[in-house]
Parts: sequence; structure tokens; C-alpha cells
Amino acid sequence: MAPCNFWGRLVTVAGFEADDTLEQDAQLVQQCLQGDGSAWEELVRRHTRRIFNICYRFTGNGTEAEDLSQDVFLRVYKTLGSYRSAHGGFATWMTSVTRNLLIDHYRRTKRDRITDSLEDAMPVVENKESAGRRPDQQLLLGELSSQVQTALTKLSPELREAVILRDLQQLDYNEIRQVLDVPEGTVKSRINRGRIELARILQQMGVRPS
Amino acid sequence: MTWTCEHIEARLSDYLDGLLSPDERHAFDMHANSCENCAQMVASISQLVGGLHSMAQMETPPRLVYSILNQTLGPREAKKGWQSSFGWLRGLSSVRFAYYGVSVAATLLILLTASGISLRKPKLADLSPANVYRHVDSQAHLAYAHTTKFFSDLRVVYEIQSRLNKDNELPTTPESTVPQPAPGKSPGSTDGTRPATPRQQNRANGLGRELEILATEVPVVSGQWCGQLLGRRIP
Repeated sequence: MAPCNFWGRLVTVAGFEADDTLEQDAQLVQQCLQGDGSAWEELVRRHTRRIFNICYRFTGNGTEAEDLSQDVFLRVYKTLGSYRSAHGGFATWMTSVTRNLLIDHYRRTKRDRITDSLEDAMPVVENKESAGRRPDQQLLLGELSSQVQTALTKLSPELREAVILRDLQQLDYNEIRQVLDVPEGTVKSRINRGRIELARILQQMGVRPS
Repeated sequence: MTWTCEHIEARLSDYLDGLLSPDERHAFDMHANSCENCAQMVASISQLVGGLHSMAQMETPPRLVYSILNQTLGPREAKKGWQSSFGWLRGLSSVRFAYYGVSVAATLLILLTASGISLRKPKLADLSPANVYRHVDSQAHLAYAHTTKFFSDLRVVYEIQSRLNKDNELPTTPESTVPQPAPGKSPGSTDGTRPATPRQQNRANGLGRELEILATEVPVVSGQWCGQLLGRRIP
């Protein structure tokens, strides 16, 4: 059984690309702080899709993800002066802001989800059509994305954010440590538990690996 | 060291992310190859991670970027300090302002031209009120004269055209039906080779009557050339 060696190469290549991105982001931030509106517009265009995807994967709701993305950029705009490039990249700092807002949102809407939790406690009706398929077949049919999204919302927020940042946003462990502000050992543990839990939920939903 | 199922589960992500040392990976493979449950779990998580990595990013709603920009850059008028002093300059880049600017510039150019100020060789004397008034007055009279002449020419052209049209509308009559004037008594005939039409006769008679009146009123001045013109008809 071969491990995913390509992942290490991917991180390395992404690291080289990230150097340029970090530099450009730092320049744009400086221009923003000097009152350049077009620099802020460029920053928004560069990061909107990534932030929206994090919000969507965390909430599983397009409208909520849109509102939260706007909140993220509003907060970033107001607190841009507090960003220090020496402490990390702008994207990492922005992801950290996003994560904090998502956790706030999760706690704020916890009461609203009691009904959803009761519904979740009901036995899951297995989809007969998808029960026998392998995950790669599900992927080809375009069903895995929606099923993974459903499964992600059933994870605890700590595990969910770790899996989203690692496997969907493809951040490295050090970046995730900065975003979550926890030790690297905790990051690794959360990612590992999150993946195992996600696979278990998918299995309960009828998405069984062969 | 022999790894157990608990070891495999705890280090699974490290294995998939390539973070194990060669010895650890060997121990991991040894156990996973001999334990059916662990092998199934590793395969399951590996496929899940591969599926997550290959999941496409969601497309951003088109209105999201504009909403963010409106909420952030929109209330820029509320900025304080020196930035607020130059906020009005942003409005100058609009198309509407460019249109207004061109209109004002064209109006100024017309006024400057009318007031006689030469843009190529500007002189200070051109700006004195007397010179400006004189130039504007002459330009106004010139424009009035041009306008009057234009309408006068237009009227003459119209009159000539209408007379030509009237002449063309007259029915053509054969030579035999034209009444023949008495020889030597036709006022419109000057050489006697071609008979005049009744219209020409009427016109000639009218002209003769006017000249007779003129000769009666001013006999000294007009008598001689009127007599030459009318010949034996002038007494």
C-alpha cells in the first residue's frame, strides 16, 4: 500500500506559488492601508472564492455562506491595520478571521439546530441506488460532493474546520496551526479524527468503500 | 516495535500525508497488510481523502464581490481626515462630468470667438470692455446682415422658381390659333418678325403706361430716354 507521496510534492509546489501570492498580498495590503481602493478591490477578488468555499463547506448553506463571507470581509476591512505580515501570510490571517466568525456563528445558531439534531437522530434512510457504489463511482456521478457536504455538517465544529482546512482548502499543518491557534499535535489529532469520523458518517449514509 | 490497531488509527493521517519515517511506515505496512479491518479502514480513508482533494471549489455567486465592495468601499464618504477632502475628486471621472465639461468648453470657445479674443495671439487689450463690446456689436450686425441677405436671396430664388413654374404650366397653343396682331400696331413687337403673345402684350402695355406716367411727372429727366424707349408713342 503506497502512501500519498504526491501530497508532499503538491505542498512543495504550492509553497513556491505561495511565496509570490504572499508578496503580492502584502503589497496590496500596504496599498490598502494608504487608502488605495483598487488594491482593496483586488484583494477581495483574489480571496472571495476561497472564503466563500470555507463558509459553504462549514455551514452547508449557500445563503449563510454568502452572508458570512460578507461579514468576513467587513471585519478584515475594519481590522486591516492590525495585520502584521511578520506573523504569517495574509491568506492565513484572513482564514483565521473566517474561522473565528464561523465558530461565533455556530455558537449563535446552536439553539436553532436543536430541531435539526432531533431529525438527525432519526435513522437514516439508505439510498438504495447509491448503496452498492464505490466512492470513485460516486465521484464520477457527482454525488459524493453533496454527500460529503452533508456528512461534513454532522461533524463537530472542531473536526469539521480541521478537515475543511486540510483536505478542501489544502493548507499545511503549520498554516492550520496558525489559523486554529492550537499546537500542531492537536491539529494532527483533529484532522485524523475528523477523517475517520467523516468516513464513518458516510458509511452510515450508505456511501461504503469497497 | 510491532504496531497495533490503535497505532494504525492514531497515525493514519500521518501515513496518508507522508509524514511517517521509513521505519514507522514499514511497521504501519506490516500491520495493515496482516489486519483486514485496518486494511479496510486505510483504503476507506485514503479514498475519502482522494475524493476530498478532487472536489471542485464552488463558484462564487456573482453578486458577492459587488456586495462586499459596496459594503466596504461604498460608504467612503464617511471617511475622516485628509481622505475626505479629496473624496469629491472621484466624481470627476464619470462620463456625465466629461459631457458637462465638453459642453462648458464649447460654450466658452463660442463666447471667446464672438468677443474677438484671439486664442492664437491673445492680447491684453482684447479683454477691455470697450473692445469686447465693439467686437460683439460688429459681429452681431454682421450676423444680422448675413441672415437678412440669406432670407432675401431665398425669397428671390423662390420667386424666380414660382414664375418659371407658372410659365411651364401655360398650355402650349398651335401657331394657327394664336391671334395675329395687326401689322405695325403691336406694342410688344420690336422688329415685326415674330408676333407677340397676349401675355407679352399685356406686360408691354403695362410697362408703357408706367413710363407714360413717369414721363408726365418728370418730363425733364425721363422724357428723352423714355421717348427713345417708346418711340413714336411719346408725344
